[in-house]
Amino acid sequence: MAVTLKNGCSEFLRSCWRLRSFQKPLGCLLPAFVRQQSSQILKYPPSYIPETSLSRPPWPEVKILDPEEEAKQHQAVVLKVNTLLEKGDYGRLFAVVHFASRQWKVTNEDLVLIENHIEAECGDRIRMEKVLLVGGENFTLVGRPLLGRDLVRVEATVIEKTESWPMVHMRFKRRKGFQRKKFIIQPQTVLRINSIEVAPRLS
Amino acid sequence: MVFLTFPCLIRNRGPDRYWRVQEVLKNARHFRGRKNRCYSLAVRAVRRAFVYATKGRHLKKRDMRSLWISRIAAGSREHGLKYPVLVGNLVKCSVQLNRKVLSDLAINEPRTFQSLAKLARARQEEGFRAALGDGSEPPGVLSRVVLLQ
Repeated sequence: MAVTLKNGCSEFLRSCWRLRSFQKPLGCLLPAFVRQQSSQILKYPPSYIPETSLSRPPWPEVKILDPEEEAKQHQAVVLKVNTLLEKGDYGRLFAVVHFASRQWKVTNEDLVLIENHIEAECGDRIRMEKVLLVGGENFTLVGRPLLGRDLVRVEATVIEKTESWPMVHMRFKRRKGFQRKKFIIQPQTVLRINSIEVAPRLS
Repeated sequence: MVFLTFPCLIRNRGPDRYWRVQEVLKNARHFRGRKNRCYSLAVRAVRRAFVYATKGRHLKKRDMRSLWISRIAAGSREHGLKYPVLVGNLVKCSVQLNRKVLSDLAINEPRTFQSLAKLARARQEEGFRAALGDGSEPPGVLSRVVLLQ
């Protein structure tokens, strides 16, 4: 389209130049002349069908997969991941865990600050059981929605239990004599992620 | 302070005025202009600042979510998917990663994000295949195409 437009413009300019070279008042003829020129340029071959919303279905091309081939591909992927797991050749693992109604992407030796108290003493070792995703260097295990408890093991230690700094909660309505001021102090817990381990074999 | 009678407790004006003023000015010391030293100006500015802080704590959650969404949208476009297609199909696969984690993966773990995009694409094609069936018309329906033939 852009090419045709450019051609049309150049033709138009050329025609103008030609008209000026005639040195005659041909201004009234100009639009018809240009129209003729442009219609000549935009002539399409007879086989051309303009593309509309009906010329193609709105969904992309759908390939039909052979179930046997799909099973083969699945087998190959599982085999590859299993060999990686057996060798332990996955570098530093990371995991996405659901903890304290939030999802955290953690790796070894991470610190996690939770805005609440938890029912474990300082120094206790806890295990995070809701693991949504584990990733290594060359593979990722995605849970639907969770990974099995015997597949991944994420352990953490409670390091510190403190309180947040006081936050001011203030509400105010002008011209209504309404003003409320409150100090909010939230208990906080700091966790250290000790280890992320994957079982040596997919079940 | 010791009050011998209840009316005395009501009538007293609280702590020393100097310290009351300092309490407010303490929060306004970094403000610009006379607000940081004149009490009557500082009181209004401090109140307004506290109200903004309170509202901002709620707004932060909303803003972060929209930021994550725009990051995921940009990341999914790299793999030829639109944001709603990616998220909707991940939900259909019952992958319950939230926006925060997805945007984090899009930035720091591009290969993991690519595999998630592939998963969403596979689920989308599966849905199309199920919806199209084997390409035949359902029985008892006369579509325009059939009438023309």
